[in-house]
Amino acid sequence: MLNITLNSIKISLQKLKKTLFSTLLNTIISLVIILITCLVCLNTFGWLLYNANWKVITSNLPLYAFGSFPPDEQWRPATWIISLLLLSIVTLFGPEWKWLRKNLISAWAGTVPLGLYLLYGGIGLSPISSRHWGGLTLTILLTVCSSLLSLPLGIILALCRQSSLQLIQKISSIFIDVMRAVPLIAVLFFGQLLIPLFLPVGIEVDRVWRAIFAFTLFVSAYIAEDIRGGLQSIPRNQIEAANSLGLNQYQIIRFILIPQALRIALPALTNQSIGLFQNTSLMAILGLVELLGVGRSILANPEFIGQYIEVYIWLACVYWFVCTIMAILARHLEQRLTINQANF
Amino acid sequence: MEPILVAQNLTKSYTKGSRALDNVSLKVNQGKVLVVMGPSGSGKSTLIRTFNGLETFDSGELDVLGIKVDSTHDERKIQKIRRRVGMVFQQFNLFPHLSILENITLAPINVQKRRPIEAEEYGMYLLSQMGIDSHAQKYPSQLSGGEQQRVAIARALALKPELLLFDEPTSALDPERINEVLDAMRRLAKQGMTMVVVTHEIGFAKDVSDQVLFMDSGKVIETSTPEIFFSKARHERSRKFLNQLDKN
Repeated sequence: MLNITLNSIKISLQKLKKTLFSTLLNTIISLVIILITCLVCLNTFGWLLYNANWKVITSNLPLYAFGSFPPDEQWRPATWIISLLLLSIVTLFGPEWKWLRKNLISAWAGTVPLGLYLLYGGIGLSPISSRHWGGLTLTILLTVCSSLLSLPLGIILALCRQSSLQLIQKISSIFIDVMRAVPLIAVLFFGQLLIPLFLPVGIEVDRVWRAIFAFTLFVSAYIAEDIRGGLQSIPRNQIEAANSLGLNQYQIIRFILIPQALRIALPALTNQSIGLFQNTSLMAILGLVELLGVGRSILANPEFIGQYIEVYIWLACVYWFVCTIMAILARHLEQRLTINQANF
Repeated sequence: MEPILVAQNLTKSYTKGSRALDNVSLKVNQGKVLVVMGPSGSGKSTLIRTFNGLETFDSGELDVLGIKVDSTHDERKIQKIRRRVGMVFQQFNLFPHLSILENITLAPINVQKRRPIEAEEYGMYLLSQMGIDSHAQKYPSQLSGGEQQRVAIARALALKPELLLFDEPTSALDPERINEVLDAMRRLAKQGMTMVVVTHEIGFAKDVSDQVLFMDSGKVIETSTPEIFFSKARHERSRKFLNQLDKN
């Protein structure tokens, strides 16, 4: 065992010698680069350990997580986030029981109403207005609700774009093209500033839902294109086989086309939701106190003024952490779906 | 003798000038097997695909199980036909995202509205008939070509069809896999299933068919019993085709 490790170290050292120190010039370049790298690392770690003042993070942890949610009720968003984390762990490392695997999808779907119930309150819980939602909770809520709503909308748009009815096909094409030609921030401004003007007096949609609405419109256009790609790569003979079995148009879409298109589009779809998660940070500009918004409001506090670097490093870590979990979950899902079907 | 399938003067052209089907007429009676032969591009596939409405035709009349269809291609009548006619394709066309059993029960449950348990039982029965019941929970890509084609036959049988259409069912198979599919088709014929089979398998046509229809460039050249067709075909064109097949 030890011999093998020693050997492999020897081999990698030889490789290093070959690649980095083969000639005099290479050796000089290598040494200079190594020196610079060491200095950068030294400075960075020195700053991280001795100069940085992490109090701006540690004393505000609940703020990052929950925003201005009333402290007595913060167990509610905490429960939600922890349940999401637990569900991720079960999904990734849980046992291979059939009933468990079957019910995981419903469990994931159930986290959305659970989250909304815990945040809004209502039956048995004191109601809390969405003005107080914030931090990571709000970021996750925006992501989850928007992706969940934009998936069906995207599927409908993709199907409409393939429709033989000219009018429907044109409308959905125009919608998709417009959404893809406009920057996200413009759509978000539209959601925050213009929708209240358009709505009749007396009807009010709160800011969080206006944001979710805008994200849904924007993302669904991209999802529609991903799914259209999936639909187009399904061979025509699948439809013929379904036709010959007497399935009608609706059944073919429901049982043959959409399941296959979703599987093909899955990598692109997970990309969309990870992108969406990061793009929710744009809402900080528009006055929602989500994760980045919390960071900005903390920086505005005189007590922590000027501690940009600590805050942004911390925020980057949180975004990185959540995105990594999302990516791992997505890869897991892809693997599961391809285990059975080598051709996909 | 009740005719199951009657085609009268079917004509179809994809592009102006060339005819995929040229005045094709034929009749298949209850319990009979019709084998359609012909060189590639002769319109065999187009012909068999008109029988369940996968292809339209420009003129002529079609009577499948008493349901009359003309060139207007009435969607509702076509649906009625498809519920009673099964089809097996050259490329199997199984649904890759569904397990073998789900492939078979999809149509019975959703088209015929049968109870899932009942449909699954019958599906398992069909799979055991085809000798592949041990694969019920697998997915199509895990099966060999011959096995996939037998699943496709079971899928077509699941709707309890009164007529089965086979569009070159063995052309995409390895030579050593062809017989397992042909054997399954032989058994079906013995059980009295009415079948129309597009194929190049002479052995199968000799053993099983009641009639052989030979096509070239959209026209029916001749319709004979297999005994006559394979020993003393009436037309020069048919003899030439058979010679060619023998050489291969």
